[in-house]
Amino acid sequence: MSEFEEIRGCLIEMKDLSALMIDLAFSSVMYNSEDIAEEVYLLEEKMDDLTLKVKRLTLRAAKKEKDPESLLSIIDLADINERISDAAYGIADIILRDIEPHPIIRKIMEDTEEELGRVTVRPGSVLIGKTLAQLKLPSKIGTRILAIKRGDRYIYNPGRDDTVEEGDVLIAVSSDMDKLRKLAGEEVEEEE
Amino acid sequence: MEEWDEIEVPKNVKDIFVEMKNTAELMVDLAYSAALFKEKEIAEEVLELEEYLDILNYHLMVRAVLAARNMKEAEQITSILQMARSIDDISNAAADLAKMVLEEKLHPLITEVILESEETIGRVIVSPESVLVGKTLDDLDLSTNTGVWVIAIRRGKRWIFDPDEDTKIMPGDIIIGRGTRTALEYLKEIARGIIKVMPNE
Repeated sequence: MSEFEEIRGCLIEMKDLSALMIDLAFSSVMYNSEDIAEEVYLLEEKMDDLTLKVKRLTLRAAKKEKDPESLLSIIDLADINERISDAAYGIADIILRDIEPHPIIRKIMEDTEEELGRVTVRPGSVLIGKTLAQLKLPSKIGTRILAIKRGDRYIYNPGRDDTVEEGDVLIAVSSDMDKLRKLAGEEVEEEE
Repeated sequence: MEEWDEIEVPKNVKDIFVEMKNTAELMVDLAYSAALFKEKEIAEEVLELEEYLDILNYHLMVRAVLAARNMKEAEQITSILQMARSIDDISNAAADLAKMVLEEKLHPLITEVILESEETIGRVIVSPESVLVGKTLDDLDLSTNTGVWVIAIRRGKRWIFDPDEDTKIMPGDIIIGRGTRTALEYLKEIARGIIKVMPNE
């Protein structure tokens, strides 16, 4: 694999992870969840490793480049994603340091454009036994699953082949969480 | 910063905070859009939003300081301030990406990274035959029905950034949206007029 291919892989992962970390960090504060905050902390360490890796690979690639300075923006992009992940860690840190979040924070999260929510998959739900690839939740109901809590265990950033099971708690970001609640078989208060 | 004197800032901590979070997230989306399409006007908008966010942050701090009446409240308020600082950090990172666009120093690899990430950015052209035409963003609720978040609309030579729910889609509009590749492809087919019904109909 050439350096550039490797750099590209790292940067894609960094961009995806930093976005996931922001959502997880806000979820951790909203639900006062140390587990989720802890995951943000672990991902932050991973981001540090990836940043270093990108920098090393870029320097190595620069040796063969006629215009090494043209690679500067690659390091800058890694740096930008690293800073976003640091910011996410800064948010999760509130929970890790055991500060009780202000009560309005929860209200704030319910009012933002992208709503964060926690939905339990009830018996008989249409989601049960389906993979995320089959469900296509992002395009069908504008919802992304950040994590699945199964028993005491979390599956973070679940992939296409992960299956939803009865009793799973889905941590999701959505423009309309009620749609997911209905699919999960939760009671939803009808509007109007 | 005088031009911002006219700008209305929400009155309470909660509303300012919501505005800060939405603005920072919009800035990240716009910065990546600017980087992908090499659009300097979008990059300029990111830098303007950055100034707006600084003002929001200042107002938030002032109000938060006023709100504490005892030690416990003060401690809880630090959680809000810490989150606000993180949001400000995110916006600064977005602004730096926008500056890279303005300085034209993006390596071609960056385009590939944006296109291949899980949530990417797409440009969707609205044909006159599309069911989108004449409807407001509120009617369409694209984020729920297609999974695409509308970041900006290009109409002729004009940009509409962060269009609100009353914005009507016109034929020829170019919608800049964020979503998964599947979601963006789906919206493209609706915009081309190939899919004739919206999923909520």
